[in-house]
Amino acid sequence: MAHIHLEDGSFSLFFVLVWWAAAIILVGIAIYLIRAEKKPDRRKITLAAFCTAAAFAIFQVSIPIFGGVHLNLTPLIGILAGPAAGSLVVLIINILSSAIGHGGWGLIGANTLVNIVEVVVGYSCFRLLKSTIPAFLPRAGIATIAGLLCGNIAMILIIVISGVQGVNQSPGQILAGLSLIAAVNMGVAVIEAFITGLIVAYIGKVRPDLLGEEK
Amino acid sequence: MSSTMISSHIPDLDLITTYAQREGTFFSRVSPWTKFSGLLLVILLITLTRNLVICGILYLIILGLYASAGFPVKKLFAWYTLPVLFVISLVGIMAWTEPGTPVFSWTLGLFTLTLTNNGVILIVTLLLKALISVTYSLFFLMTTRYQHFSAMIYRLFPTPLDQIFLLAYRFLFLTLSMTGAIFKAVRSRGGGIIHSIRIQGQIFAEVFALVFIRSFDRAERVHLAMISRGYSGKYEAGTEIPRPGLSGMVVIGVFCCVIAIIVLMVPNTGGIS
Repeated sequence: MAHIHLEDGSFSLFFVLVWWAAAIILVGIAIYLIRAEKKPDRRKITLAAFCTAAAFAIFQVSIPIFGGVHLNLTPLIGILAGPAAGSLVVLIINILSSAIGHGGWGLIGANTLVNIVEVVVGYSCFRLLKSTIPAFLPRAGIATIAGLLCGNIAMILIIVISGVQGVNQSPGQILAGLSLIAAVNMGVAVIEAFITGLIVAYIGKVRPDLLGEEK
Repeated sequence: MSSTMISSHIPDLDLITTYAQREGTFFSRVSPWTKFSGLLLVILLITLTRNLVICGILYLIILGLYASAGFPVKKLFAWYTLPVLFVISLVGIMAWTEPGTPVFSWTLGLFTLTLTNNGVILIVTLLLKALISVTYSLFFLMTTRYQHFSAMIYRLFPTPLDQIFLLAYRFLFLTLSMTGAIFKAVRSRGGGIIHSIRIQGQIFAEVFALVFIRSFDRAERVHLAMISRGYSGKYEAGTEIPRPGLSGMVVIGVFCCVIAIIVLMVPNTGGIS
C-alpha cells in the first residue's frame, strides 16, 4: 500500500482526540464549502457516493504485483470529486475501512488527515499542471506521486508528534524507522501513480466530462 | 465465498450482511446503540491500556462472543491479514531498536540488529489491540441490520455527509458485485495469467477505470430515477432503532466501571497524554 492505516491503540488518548479534532475542522470546512454553493448540485452528492463505493470496492482488490498491492486511490478521488467532496469521501472510506479492520476507529481522525492531504495535493497538482502537461497519463501520475509523497510526510509528522504507545525511543530514532517505511510506501506509490495515470487516461478518453475537461 | 468477494483476506461484506440480516443470534436482538457504546468503550480501553494481560483477556472475551454467535472463526483469521500487516509495517522496524533485554540478535554486515523483550511486547500488544478492534467491529456489523446502520448514519452525521454516506452504503453492494463480475470476466479471458508489470498494471487500470465509469453512469441514472420519484436532495432513513434495554444499560455501566478500575489500579495504563 502507498500509505499505512494506523490501528487502534497506536496513539495516546490525547493525540487520538487532537487528530480527530483537526480532521473534524477540515471536514467541517468541506461541508461548509459544499453547503455554501450558490446553486447546489444534488447530482454531485450522488456522484460522490458512487465515487466512495467505487474507491472502496477497488481498495478490496489485490493486484498481483510484488506479491500483492492494494491501491488507496486517494489522489484519484481528489481528481474526480474535487477537494471538498473528496474530503468527505475519504472520511467515509476511513469509517468503512475501520469497520473491517483497515485502520482503527480511534485513528480515523489521523488517517483522514493523511488522506485529505493526498486528495488536496493530488487535485491541485492535476489542475495546476493542465497547461504544462496536457496529457492525462503523465499529469495524473505526477499528481498521484505528489499527493502520496505529501501524504507520507503528513503520516510521518503525525506519528513523530504523537509518538507510538509503548515505544521508548527518541523522535529521531522513530523518524529513522518511519523513513524506511515511507521509502517502501513510495515504491508502491510509483505503481499507484502508473495505474492512476492509466485510469485517468482511460476515463479521459471515454468520459472527459468526469474530469471537468472538454473532449 | 460469495460472488462479490474479491480477495479472500478482505472481509466479505455480502457474507457479513447476510449474517446481520438473518438475525440468528441473541446479540442481534441487543440494541444497536448498546453495541455502538460497547465499541466506543472497547476503543477507549485499548487506547488507555498498554497492559499485555488486559489486552489478551479482552481479545479472548471478544473472540468468545464472536465464536459463540456462530460466526466463521477461520474466515476471521484470514481477515486479520491487513490489520496485522499495518501493525507490523508501523512497529516491525521500531521493535528492533527498542531498549530492553536482548532475546534475539542478527548481524548484517557491519550492523547488528537486536530484538529485545520490550520490542516483542510492543509488537504483541499492538497486534492484540488491532485484533480486538477488528473482531469487535465485525461482531457489531454481523449482529446489526442494514436498516439500523442506515438510521444510525442518518442520525449521527450532518448533511451532506450523511447523504453521501447513506447513498454510498446503498451502492456499495452493487459496486462490489459489479467489480467482482468484471474481474470474473477478465479472468475467464486469461487476465489472471501473470504478465509483465506494465501489462498487469494496464489490465487492472482499465478494470478500475471501467468500475469508476460504470459507477458514474449508474449514479446519473439513479439520480434521475430518484428525482422522478420525488427526491428533493434529502435521502431519509427513518427506521426506528431499538433503544437500549435495562440489561444493555447495566452491561455498559459495568464496562465503564471496569475501565475506570483498570485505569486507576492496573500498571501500564494511562495512555492519556
